[in-house]
This record gives sequence, C-alpha cells and structure tokens, in this order.
Amino acid sequence: MHRLSPLLGGWAVFAGVAGYWFYSMGPGSAAGAQDQQMHLSFTLIAAATVAGALVAIGFGYVGWYFHTFRITDEAIEQRKGVVFRQQRQARLDRLQAVDVVQPLVGRLFGFAKISVEVAGGARSGIALQFLRLSDAEALRNEILALAAGYRAEVAARHDDAASDSRVGGLREELKRVRLAPTPGSARTAVAAAEERPLVAVPVPRLLASILLSWGTIASAAMVAIFVAGSVVVAILVPGIDIVGAFIGGGFVGLLSGVAGMVSYLLASLNRGVNFRLGIAADGVRIAHGLLETRKQTVPPGRVQAVHFKQSLLWRRHDWWHIVVNVAGYQDDQQAVSTLLPVGTRQEALAALWCVLPDLGDPDTEGAVSRALSGSGADGGFLTAPESAKWVDPLQRRFRGVLATETALFIRRGWLVRELIVVPHERTQSLALKQGPIQRALGIADVAVHSTKGVVSPVAQHLAIADAVSLLNAQASRARARRRVQTPEQWMRKVGLVDDAAD
Amino acid sequence: MSWFSPDDVMWTPASRRLIPARLIVIAVVFAPLVVASAVLALVLWSALWWLTGALVLVTGWFMWIGVRLVLAHGWAEREDDLLVKRGRLWRSVTVVPYGRMQYVEVTSGPIARAFGIATVQLHTASPGTDASLNGVPTDDAARLRDRLTSRGEARLAGL
Repeated sequence: MHRLSPLLGGWAVFAGVAGYWFYSMGPGSAAGAQDQQMHLSFTLIAAATVAGALVAIGFGYVGWYFHTFRITDEAIEQRKGVVFRQQRQARLDRLQAVDVVQPLVGRLFGFAKISVEVAGGARSGIALQFLRLSDAEALRNEILALAAGYRAEVAARHDDAASDSRVGGLREELKRVRLAPTPGSARTAVAAAEERPLVAVPVPRLLASILLSWGTIASAAMVAIFVAGSVVVAILVPGIDIVGAFIGGGFVGLLSGVAGMVSYLLASLNRGVNFRLGIAADGVRIAHGLLETRKQTVPPGRVQAVHFKQSLLWRRHDWWHIVVNVAGYQDDQQAVSTLLPVGTRQEALAALWCVLPDLGDPDTEGAVSRALSGSGADGGFLTAPESAKWVDPLQRRFRGVLATETALFIRRGWLVRELIVVPHERTQSLALKQGPIQRALGIADVAVHSTKGVVSPVAQHLAIADAVSLLNAQASRARARRRVQTPEQWMRKVGLVDDAAD
Repeated sequence: MSWFSPDDVMWTPASRRLIPARLIVIAVVFAPLVVASAVLALVLWSALWWLTGALVLVTGWFMWIGVRLVLAHGWAEREDDLLVKRGRLWRSVTVVPYGRMQYVEVTSGPIARAFGIATVQLHTASPGTDASLNGVPTDDAARLRDRLTSRGEARLAGL
C-alpha cells in the first residue's frame, strides 16, 4: 500500500478540522473584548482537534504498516490489523469482478483503491487502499490474467515457442503479457489487455434520459398533487385564505418533490456521467463516475442476469437502461450493477452481446429486438393465458417467456417495458409458486433464482401446465448447460493457454 | 395438470413429530393471552368472555393451519436435484440442483430437539432459494446432510 494512504483515508478528519477552524476564526475575528475568552476556548478546542487528528493519523500509520498483501498464482492474500490480526485470502478461481475506484481526493492526488469481489458472502471481497493509480491498474491486470489461468511460466514458454500460431489474434496479443513482479513495488509487468470501446454515453443524452425517466415524472407528479390538494383544501374549507393554503401546501410539496428529484438526479448523474463500456481480453470494462470514478472489470461469464428497462418517455427515442447481476457485489448495488445507463437499441444489443455473447439464436440481434418490443406470442414467446387478466390486467398482454438453447428471456411491463435475460448455466435454483387466487384461475409463477443483486427474474401468471413444463425443461436445460460451461480460468478452457505447464 | 406432480418422484413427508413441535410454539404464544383475558373476564367484566372465545378460536385456527402446513411439506431427492414442496393456500415447489449448493446447515432448537427432529437448510448463491426441510428426524438429518454434500461435490459447478 502506498505510504500516503492513511492521509487519504483520514481526509474526512482533515476536512472536519479545517471546517471547524474556519468556523471558530469567523466569530472570533469580529469579536469584542468580551468574546476574547470565547475565542481562546475555540482555539483550544481547535488545537485539541488537530492533536486528535494527528493521533488518528498516527494510528492510521500503524495500521498501514501492518497492512500487506501478496499475490500468488492461486489467491490474493491480505493481512491487516494490529491488535486484531486479520488474514484474508481470496481465491482467484472464484474471482467475480475487479474494480479500480478513485474517490474524489484520490483523484486529485492520483491514488486509487482496488476491490476484488469473490462471491463468498458478505464482506468476503478484498479492498486494497490506496495505491498509485498506475500501480493499481497494473495490479488489476495481473489479477485478471492470473484469474484467467495465465501463469508466468506459461508466458515464458510462449516466448520460446515464437512460431506457435495455432490460435491467432488474442493469443498473439497475450504473448506480450509477462508476469514478473519487481521487488519493493506493487507494480507488475502485465500489460493492460487491449480495450475495444463499445459504448460511450454522451452527457446531453444522459441528462435528457434522466429528465424523461420515472423518477422525474414521479417527483413532478408529487408536486402537482400537493399543489392541487392544497387548492382543493383552500376551496372546500372557507376559513383558510386561498393564497396561504396554496403557498403552504404547494411549498411543502414543491420542497419534497425537488429534494427527491435532486437526489435522484445526482445519483443517476453519478452513475452515468463519463460512462464508457468496453470489451477487453480479460473481461468487460465499465467506467463511470462524476466525483468518485469507478472502473469495473467483469471477466467473461460472470454476469448472472441482465435486465433491460425502457420507461414510457424513452420509447420515442428507443432508449434502454440495462442493469446486471454480478455475484460478489454486496453494497451499493445500484452503483455497481449498471451496464448501460441509457443507450439506443443498437448500443443495448452491443452491451448484451459483450456480457452474453452466445444467446442460442443464429439471429441474436433480431431475436432480442423482437423480445424487447414485441407483445403476445410474437417471436415464439410463451404468454400468460386469458384468465390472468383478473389479477394482471395491464401487463398480461406483454408478459412472455422464451427459452433458447442457452438463455431464458422473460418479458413484462406495460408502461415500462422490461426484458430479463438469464443464461441457463447461471440459474441457481427454480421455484414454482401459486397463491389462492392464481389457483382459482389456473395460473402459477415460475421464479428463476439468480445471485444477490438488482435483477430478480420471475415469469408470472403462466398457465399451470406451461409453468410446470417450463420448470421441468428449465431444470434440465440448466443441468445440460452447467456441464459445458465453467467460467473459472476461462483462457485455459478456451485453449488460449496450454494446460501442459501444470 | 393441476399442480406439479411428476410420476417418478417419491416424496418424503415431514416427520409427524413436527406437528406437536409447531403446536407447542403456537400454544406458548396464545396461552398467556387466553388466560389473561379469561382472568379479566372473571374479575372485571363478563363481556370479555367473548374476547376469550375469539382468542381460543384464533388459536385453534392457527393450529389447524400449522397441522395442514406440516402435512403439505415434503421433499424428494432426485438424481440431479432436490425438490422441496411446501404450503397449502400459497404453495410452492423449489428445485435445487445439487451442483448449486454452497453449504448445508442442520439446526434444531430446544423444542425440536425434545421431539428428535431437526431442520436441514440448503444454501445456494441466491438469496431467493428457499430450501429448508423442516421436521427431519435427527439421525436422518445427519445422513441427509452427508448425502447432499457428497452429491453436491460430485456435481459442483462454478457460480
């Protein structure tokens, strides 16, 4: 870890102290004789705070001294703690994602934090903070190369066998990769896998999309309701002055609506600004962030489920929003699970392709396009029966389920159109569910359990016979796909790295 | 087809000993209420007997539901996955492939231990998987756990 890390981590303390100092200087400078003593005590408190901050930084340094990590071919090990020692190991073959995060202060000084997610339950990931940005990126490249099954000795052997050209393209590219850690530095010599940018979201479109989204509409509707409500109250109750009621009710509504809107806007902005999606040899790269930037790398086959959404006002532009489930991301789900904040249909299809390249349909784009905008049985979808209208009058026409050889498509929505894609081999378990009303109508739900995340795929209100056969078919399809699909050490599996080295 | 009922599946029902275990829990919750309202009816106001009667009825209803739920609960070990069925009014069947199990947990509280039963819970990487087997006889539970674990290892797949 870089030796300035405790200072960066303690930035909040610094800010607090500085803020307090300014605050205490303000009234003190304009004070008369009576306030002199007051001023003195302010200075005392400020001094105590500075001392406290120094002690905190000192402790931070002790912690930093004991905070070490190392990388082997199999795992990343982290040791930290002084009184309570902690040793944590993240197996690289369980790696789900590697993020390089730069908080605001880190960005100012060129530092970054690496977090490695391994899907081992809560707090199983490893966070290394802080490293120089270039070191952090080099470390990420090394971790990803190792997780893909790339070994130093294999790299050396590839050097010798320069004539080896059984696999062109990617293999040629990977030959340049070396693993040779330099002593005394976190920097390693793995070159970053070449990245091919796929989608970049322009800021005007992002702003327009946020303004046209449900959050904005809901806030605006709330303001309107409050204003209307206050007017109605003013008219019905004669004692109240109409202007006062209007201002009172409307103002409260306006304030809460505006507050909601601003927070929603900021969150969406932070997720979407500078959004770039690319594909590299070591996985899908997602970069975004306004104040705190985050560069995520999700190796192939780690996306558990994909969820397309299109709110009503986006339909005219055919814009789509995509979120995904990646195992291992525990906190701040919304921020890390966006695959595309807003994009045209072409971009959405490209984004889907880069996380799930094989959808089991020769005409993938056509099939997904039909799935996105179709209704009824259009495109081979299994639809909800007529009787489902009693419990689901609005969405029934758009509900549909389609299973290809490799993935399950679940379409739903009425004003907001939605499509969920789950690859069969990523299905954890399945459930068939039915409530009393559904029983009377002869319909049932089929849930496909995905890992923890923002996407929860459920095919609702299918005819009972369809639901049962879907459950059976899905169980056997998932079984068949699991046999052929394993995401760990994927370069080895696809023949980019020889097994002979082990 | 009215519900999921494959021909080749032998369902293992939950142990009948789960019924008294569940009833005791319900009784522990409701008995103080019934007694309290009966005492108040005796001492203060005889109209409170209506409340007592209602409470007794509610207790009986809960117990009836409890019995029905236990009778509806069962599981089946197939070649590649475990089936768990539960519920009457809101019924569900869960299919958990052995290769997806992350770990198996066997728990039993004091009441369950007194009746010699345990709960076997399967965990996958999904929080949505609801695969707990209630009312497994204690010695069966250990065997079931070992069997599930070994099958899981044989079919283990990556996430």
